[in-house]
Amino acid sequence: MNKFLRTLIPSDIAKGMAITGKHFCKVFFTANRRKVPFHIVSEYPEVVAKVQPRYRGRLTLLKDEQGEIKCVCCLACEKICPTQVITIEKGKKEGRKMPYPVRYDFEMERCIFCEFCVESCGFDSIILNHQFELATYNREDFSLGMEGLSQNMFEPSPVGKFSVADD
Amino acid sequence: MFKNEEMEINLGPQHPSTHGVLRVKLRLDGETITHCKPVIGYLHRGVEKICENQTFFQGQVWTDRMDYCSAVANNLGWAEANEKLFGITVPRRAQYIRTLLNEFNRLASHLIWLATHALDIGAMTVFLYAFREREDILDMNEAFCGSRLTTTAFRIGGLREDMPPGFEKMARKFLAKFPTCLEEYENLLSENRIWKKRTVGVAMLSAEDAIALGVTGPVLRAAGVPYDIRKAFPYAAYGEMDFEVPTQTAADTYARYLVRMAEMRQSARIIQQCLDGMPEGPVMAKIPKILKPEVNEVYHATEAPKGEIGYYLVGEKGSTNPYRFHVRAPGFINLQSLPKMAEGGLIADIVAAIGTLDIVLGEIDR
Repeated sequence: MNKFLRTLIPSDIAKGMAITGKHFCKVFFTANRRKVPFHIVSEYPEVVAKVQPRYRGRLTLLKDEQGEIKCVCCLACEKICPTQVITIEKGKKEGRKMPYPVRYDFEMERCIFCEFCVESCGFDSIILNHQFELATYNREDFSLGMEGLSQNMFEPSPVGKFSVADD
Repeated sequence: MFKNEEMEINLGPQHPSTHGVLRVKLRLDGETITHCKPVIGYLHRGVEKICENQTFFQGQVWTDRMDYCSAVANNLGWAEANEKLFGITVPRRAQYIRTLLNEFNRLASHLIWLATHALDIGAMTVFLYAFREREDILDMNEAFCGSRLTTTAFRIGGLREDMPPGFEKMARKFLAKFPTCLEEYENLLSENRIWKKRTVGVAMLSAEDAIALGVTGPVLRAAGVPYDIRKAFPYAAYGEMDFEVPTQTAADTYARYLVRMAEMRQSARIIQQCLDGMPEGPVMAKIPKILKPEVNEVYHATEAPKGEIGYYLVGEKGSTNPYRFHVRAPGFINLQSLPKMAEGGLIADIVAAIGTLDIVLGEIDR
């Protein structure tokens, strides 16, 4: 008899529906109110997505106070890279004792953002910045280099230019 | 006339409920499955061979990309196998943080299992709620490791960095709300008649069969075998933790659901203990810059969310690369029990059988 009643009255489904209904009401009565700060989803890209301080984004060369590139071509990053995306060409620059990278190529399409290069660098001359909108329209745009090239590591990726703020 | 006619159909490889690129060849007699054969290999990248051409240090990034739902657990196995090979002792604080991250990862993996398994069977709501909680764990991954899925969380010898400021607060905040979330899922599913009809008595795998097929993890524990590597061969800081190994005896899909739900509670317990008993000290052991192995070969097994993940490494004297690298992937071996589960059942139940195995094709095909 008890079992029959349980089959007849769908209390189990009502229990589930109550939870769904509770959440529905919560969202329904608080959505689009500025006073409610808590929303599970954020409206990216209208709202800029925040990343954590340790986020691993695109590789960037750092400069010192004089505006000169810190890299001294020790090739540690080139060696440790699991996917061999970094190619450095050693060179000299006038008025600088340490070697100077003539070329510092970074093939972003193969980069896996593991941060081993930054970890291996003994001169703190590279970091992975917080940029994550890395899509482009052309394949060539993924080959980044130093200053002078159309794509270089000191400027944000083209997608940055398409962010909603520009519209 | 049609009496003995059997129909052969393909499930997948592009099918949303095969959890990736799994293809299952099915022979049907009406709606009953008479023959079931999983076809794998669509996601083969040759991770084992790639790792043999990389140094021990670099190999870790490939373990992230095997089972991408539980990257931290894979990292832990890799790091510990290497430490065994090089004879490195990891500082105690690092062990605790490793345990902490690993358990968070188990929660994330079980949540994604719950979400997709419920979605396959038809419970849409749980999918959204489970992903909501998983998001918090991924945020914690991002705060600690810098990446959400491909974490590269550990280094051979310890951790790269200590806990970031605010991480403990995030973890405690999550732990405070997580039990209510679990209750919510259970209220939605445990007694639901549709859920029970789709899971109770479906995809049975007895303990004998499970042991004979080498199945590990929650699927084995749901058959009544209390085998958990965290308890049987403690690694990281699990020896100091107080937790239970949940088991069920029914050996069906519903029992596996109950086991995984109980496991999530135990994981939360372990995380609580890790946070409370976190020792002070360094997080990285002193290791040489270039690692060259001393012993020849090691096999190290850890308990990943899906089952036993084992790393087999053969070192060569004077070489910085592993001579041979092999992964005993839990998903690969658990999948071999699919014919046993599905044959004789209905075609609608194979979706439940695939879901309950909790497979990730990135790990199966490697």
